[in-house]
Amino acid sequence: MRWASKPVEPAYAEPDPADPDGQAMETTWFAKRPVSDVRPGDHAWLAYSGAEERDRVIGAFIREGLDNNEKVVYVTDTPAEGLPGMRARTSPDLDAFVESRQLRVIPREQACLDAGGRFVPEKMLETLAHEAGQTFGQGFRAVRLTTDHTWVMNAPGRADLAEMLGCEHRFGDTVSPSTMAMAICQVARRACRDDELAALRDTHEVLVEINPEYDDGILKIVRTFDPHGLRVEGELDDVRHAAFADRLGALVRSHHRIHLDLSRLGFIDLGGLRLLARHAAARGGDRTLVLDDLAPAVENIIEAVGWHRLPGIVPGRRRGRPEHAGGRARGTRGEGRCR
Amino acid sequence: MPVTLEHRAFLYDGIERFLTVAVPYLREGVEAEEAVVVVLREPGLSALRDVLAPFAGQIDFYPSDAFYLHPVRTLKSYQELLAAKAPRAIRALAEPVWQGRTPRETLEWARYESLVNVVFKDADARAMCPYDLAALPPAVIDHARRTHPLLAWDAGTAGSRDYVDPADFGAECDRARRFGDRRGAAYFAVASDDLHALRAFVGGRASAHGLDDPAARNLVTAVNEVAANALRHGSPPVGAWIWSDGPELLCEIGDNGLWRPGPHTGFIPPESALERGFGLWTVRLLVDLMELRTGWDGTFVRLHVRR
Repeated sequence: MRWASKPVEPAYAEPDPADPDGQAMETTWFAKRPVSDVRPGDHAWLAYSGAEERDRVIGAFIREGLDNNEKVVYVTDTPAEGLPGMRARTSPDLDAFVESRQLRVIPREQACLDAGGRFVPEKMLETLAHEAGQTFGQGFRAVRLTTDHTWVMNAPGRADLAEMLGCEHRFGDTVSPSTMAMAICQVARRACRDDELAALRDTHEVLVEINPEYDDGILKIVRTFDPHGLRVEGELDDVRHAAFADRLGALVRSHHRIHLDLSRLGFIDLGGLRLLARHAAARGGDRTLVLDDLAPAVENIIEAVGWHRLPGIVPGRRRGRPEHAGGRARGTRGEGRCR
Repeated sequence: MPVTLEHRAFLYDGIERFLTVAVPYLREGVEAEEAVVVVLREPGLSALRDVLAPFAGQIDFYPSDAFYLHPVRTLKSYQELLAAKAPRAIRALAEPVWQGRTPRETLEWARYESLVNVVFKDADARAMCPYDLAALPPAVIDHARRTHPLLAWDAGTAGSRDYVDPADFGAECDRARRFGDRRGAAYFAVASDDLHALRAFVGGRASAHGLDDPAARNLVTAVNEVAANALRHGSPPVGAWIWSDGPELLCEIGDNGLWRPGPHTGFIPPESALERGFGLWTVRLLVDLMELRTGWDGTFVRLHVRR
């Protein structure tokens, strides 16, 4: 394929300790990026837990491309006006993007199916290469490619895993050295078994996630969807309480449990503990605030004062250990699959 | 009859006399099906275990050395013990450690004995605290008379005429303090509401002093809380001094305001994080010693941690 390319350099790597996208039996190294940081050469993976998560990630991916004179190629049977991030667009606006071929919405039949309706990996790769190859000629500075594999994994004539993996590898080999193409491969977590999910994920170097709700370099707050809650990273202190309280307060309160992933929280001040206790008290009843994967710094301070001084707050999942009683057990993700 | 704490000092002279009072006291508790707890130093602990062998399993024995490490944590441990034994009445024979304490530590443990009257005032509990007249310095015996409403000898029990209200006793402890110089202290001016840089500064000094990770983190959390309080309630300038004195690392946070908290502030374990005093109590819990000094030049909170 004749795509502009760059020398191969390894993505900055980090282990995937939280293992949110499958059951890795050994430590695998990935770059994890918020969607706004996806850049040319990224062959990124999004295993989403629901429509809200997918729409917020893919919506931002499409919108930022269109706003920056980049071409967006989406293989889907959903019409342009139904795509994530497009609903707020006025139709003349949308028509202009389609007209100029900046937004290419290509139905599956045309992109990757044979006459019998079967998924043909080679056809998909050719379609994407063709669209990407036209990018500069059409006056765009980069190309963003995305498609949702959920249907392939679920369809009656389901592609076999080896075939999918081969397709992803070849696609990755094409995108990674590129200086102008970036891609997000999507799949609904519940569509695949955990081992399939892990195998597919492992063909990508980049894990993409939602943009943080807040990030000032000291404290970072990221929405989580499965479980419902927030991931809080860095340091939570007095000047950052308001930002955290806002995000916590904005979560849907009807959920029985709100989970806070504190695996990367290096510091919480005593005011932060008071804030959590106030929030838990305001929720009332038996609705709890669950603290998952506590980093030692935070766990030590809570254990020093005693969990009973934080009513309504319970310890949750612990890395490598079973979850607190009453929580969702791990490793049962495949149960809801539709095959 | 309203449930109240019975807190008495038992002044004894010799192990024989000790046993003639302690044994019937504990046996009575076992017979009344109370939760009976013995926290004692040697040789008393072994002597009692032998004599009370028939009641093995009905009395909990703990060595004092492991129980009396830190006054604020010891109050918390007793509170947890009471909660664990509830709704049974508690009968304790509790002997603090006075040997090998510095004058400042002795004062803090005397304050602890006084605070027992406040923290457990509504507890269905009896505590008898043995004081060895032959071994302890007169000052410690003097404290015992002033911190226990009741005094016991082998001859019997009577009210202590020297008993002092805990608030007054605490104020006296505070007045008796002498604050040494901040010799060789590094100063950090807290110029912004953002305490990130202060935490990094204190964390670095704590590691350099040789504190292990949990102790260093505890100090950082304590300093952060005191500084946040000073920023919120005190007056500028706010600053922190940090220096080493032998094995001890000291950090003092000062501001120009005048803060006079109540005599028990931060000593009484709060019910929950939402209660007033939670922050100061946790600060006291996290460091070896917290001292407060208020004067014409401002309010100063000095934190001590030993490596």
